[in-house]
Amino acid sequence: MMDTVLLLVYIFLFPGFLFLLAYALVFEYLDRRIAARMQHRVGPPFYQPFADFIKMLGKEVIDPDGVDKRIFDSVPLVALAAVMTAYLYIPIIGSSPLAFQGDVVLVLYLLTLPTIALFLLGWMSRNIFSAMGGIRAVTQLFIYEVPFFLVILTPALMAGTWSISEIVVWQQKNMWFVFLQPIGFIVALIGLQAKLERTPFDIPEAETEIVAGPLTELTGRRLAFMHLTTDVSLVAGSALISAMFLGGPTIPVIITPIWLSWIVGFLLFLVKTLTILLILSSIKVATGRIRIDQLNTIGWKYIASAAIAQVAIVLFMSYRWVMA
Amino acid sequence: MPEVIIPIGPHHPALKEPVNFKVIADGEKIVRLELDISYNHRGIEKAAEQRDFIRVLPLLERVCGICSHSHSTAFAKGIEEIMQLEIPPRAQYIRTIVAELERMHSHLLWLGVAAHEIGFNTLFMWIWRDREAVQDTLEEMSGNRVHYGMNEIGGVRRDLTPEQVNAALVRLPHLEERIKKYVDMVNNQETLLIRFKGIGKLSKEEVLKYGAVGPTARASGVDYDIRSDDPYLAYKEAPWKVVTDTHGDVYGRTIVRIGELEESLKIVRYCLEHLPEGPIRVTVPKIAPKGEIFSRYEAPRGELAHFIRTNGTDKVERIDIRTPTLANWTSVAMCLVNQNLADIPVIVAAIDPCLSCTSRITVMNDYDRKASSITMDELRRQSRARFQRAERL
Amino acid sequence: MTNGLMVDFVLDTMKEFGTIEQIRSNRIRISTTPDKVHDAIKRSRELLKCDRLITISAADNGRTLELIYHLTGPHRTVISLVIELPRDVPETPTMSDILPAGIYERQIHDLFGIFFKGNPNLEKIILNEDWPDNEYPLRKDWKPDPGKFYGGIKEERI
Repeated sequence: MMDTVLLLVYIFLFPGFLFLLAYALVFEYLDRRIAARMQHRVGPPFYQPFADFIKMLGKEVIDPDGVDKRIFDSVPLVALAAVMTAYLYIPIIGSSPLAFQGDVVLVLYLLTLPTIALFLLGWMSRNIFSAMGGIRAVTQLFIYEVPFFLVILTPALMAGTWSISEIVVWQQKNMWFVFLQPIGFIVALIGLQAKLERTPFDIPEAETEIVAGPLTELTGRRLAFMHLTTDVSLVAGSALISAMFLGGPTIPVIITPIWLSWIVGFLLFLVKTLTILLILSSIKVATGRIRIDQLNTIGWKYIASAAIAQVAIVLFMSYRWVMA
Repeated sequence: MPEVIIPIGPHHPALKEPVNFKVIADGEKIVRLELDISYNHRGIEKAAEQRDFIRVLPLLERVCGICSHSHSTAFAKGIEEIMQLEIPPRAQYIRTIVAELERMHSHLLWLGVAAHEIGFNTLFMWIWRDREAVQDTLEEMSGNRVHYGMNEIGGVRRDLTPEQVNAALVRLPHLEERIKKYVDMVNNQETLLIRFKGIGKLSKEEVLKYGAVGPTARASGVDYDIRSDDPYLAYKEAPWKVVTDTHGDVYGRTIVRIGELEESLKIVRYCLEHLPEGPIRVTVPKIAPKGEIFSRYEAPRGELAHFIRTNGTDKVERIDIRTPTLANWTSVAMCLVNQNLADIPVIVAAIDPCLSCTSRITVMNDYDRKASSITMDELRRQSRARFQRAERL
Repeated sequence: MTNGLMVDFVLDTMKEFGTIEQIRSNRIRISTTPDKVHDAIKRSRELLKCDRLITISAADNGRTLELIYHLTGPHRTVISLVIELPRDVPETPTMSDILPAGIYERQIHDLFGIFFKGNPNLEKIILNEDWPDNEYPLRKDWKPDPGKFYGGIKEERI
């Protein structure tokens, strides 16, 4: 009974949905603030993302002629639900209570749903700009997804388990994967930047070329939920990488009693995800947008080869350890 | 994907002014382009025929916001030549200073816009912050950030005080340093290089065949520059050189414009330091003798040509303005074929289009001067009707 | 800076096309007729080495419509070729096969009504698409007709 109550608190309040939504808005604020300071501007105040979300919920919802309203209404909600669920399986304060063998695959799958949602919205908008944006989103998905999956799965290979929480425990006992697999870490960061469609990979939403890409015809609460999906993906993606490579909410020292380890774990989670956000924001500010065919070349030539090299190294290393 | 018509314009975030490119694309490659530049047409050439010289100068200045001084100087220079007037050297130097400051602010604006077109917003923010130094100088001198109103037939309207000259000189060294930094960035920053190099390439023969002017032409090695071909104002005395490049693509045009920024800074500094004393205007007869003049001026975007005919009254008989952007449209339409869709904003931005200069006619028909208001539903109905008509075309 | 063209050299090469006068140190004006102007331009491109068209100006001098082609080249002298066309039938062959004249001819056709024979694309470029036909605003005898509709949205009164 107590367990059920605690589980519900975990899922819905802290560190579940309520905390997640608040943290997503804080992430958006920090991202915009860091970018603004680097560009010599002032940047928004800290309640800006929250105010944007509330404002957009109140705006009028316009349906273009001949568009299926039910799909337009439900797809943003499905995308938001997918990323919020993915977040639940990542260790925040300790092992996730919903962990099971294979949850790394589930998280990766759920994190690709927003891109499919973008494609659906773009295609159904009956608007040439949205259709092109949707096509570009899916093309980009094909390019970065393979390397990204490979390097997220190499820590699982080395740790010998398919559960993120157990990978974190393995890192606590041995070493963080960022030191064991640095190539994988870099490829994962690049892949996350591409997944979130941030510069230099913001091709699907290139404002100066195709208006707003797949989101052109969304208004009101639909657009609010799609933006919130992007913010939550940023948190979930950063949490995933910090769990897989930076050891998640643990340090190589075991802390007792358990409530103290939860508090320390939470603080470590904050520090590590903020570090990853800082890296991603710097990449976003320091580069311009590349074209889709250039991304194709760079993606397959460099990023995919780096990922395959990483996998080869991991297989070689585990072969040596097994044989030795 | 089969051939698709993608409307770029008249309303589009990539365009600063309305123009209609109907791009016929096959996937991401452009097959053909159709052009319609009538959206900013304001009737200036016809209106200029009904105004005497004092009133026509402000009208011509408002052909364009960014190259306003170019139009009024070209016209004033032409009329002064018809009337056979020689304006005092101090006025010539002041006109040169404002002209070169205008060129600097235009090129800095362009550089920021080009960075924005490829999504590189950081560079855009930094450059526009440095552009404020030029705008502050212009505001101190003329009271306005655009549309300076410095010219009149026979000289300039305002003098420069020693404080203004010193304030301007003090701002120049910092700007020079920042420009050097931008040269460095353009040459070394990866995303800029891969989005600019090889895009929109025009060879020297194509430039001459399509009649391109200005930095677009100079980037392909064609060294036409009216400031040296047909010198006017103080350009014979100030030390400067024509900047050309051989790349011929958007990267070459960027290099040429940054080079021109450096040269303009040198000219401004020279003119500020060597400003001659004396009067700033001469008295002007009210009537111009009958004559015809072809006055050319190097505007920031290229060669501006005013063909002026007077007929012995105090109005012009005909003024025909050929702006640099009009001359460059043919080359843009030609070099866009077989390029990627994603490069349209970059290539169009590379000629630095100024559509207000290009289309100068609209007719306001106000015979029925009664007030009326349109309800929201009516507006919606009209805009939908217009869209459906356009779709059917 | 190359030397400008000498007026005598221009007189020699172009004398059968019409009268030649030197207006300014670097501008030479040649008056010719519509049937000869195509050859005149060809010859100035080849012999006088004019490789650039600056612009095509059009003017209405009350009696006829004038077209002036301004050419220049590395010698930096402007050669202006002037032709006059009658008001009732203003027609002339197009120069777009030897010069980048397409965009200027389209604009002049919109504003003055001069018809360029052989130009493949004389659609409206500078006037809006609902401008009525046969109204050429830059002619001296044109006044806006209050009965006609020149484009834009018709305002309705409530």
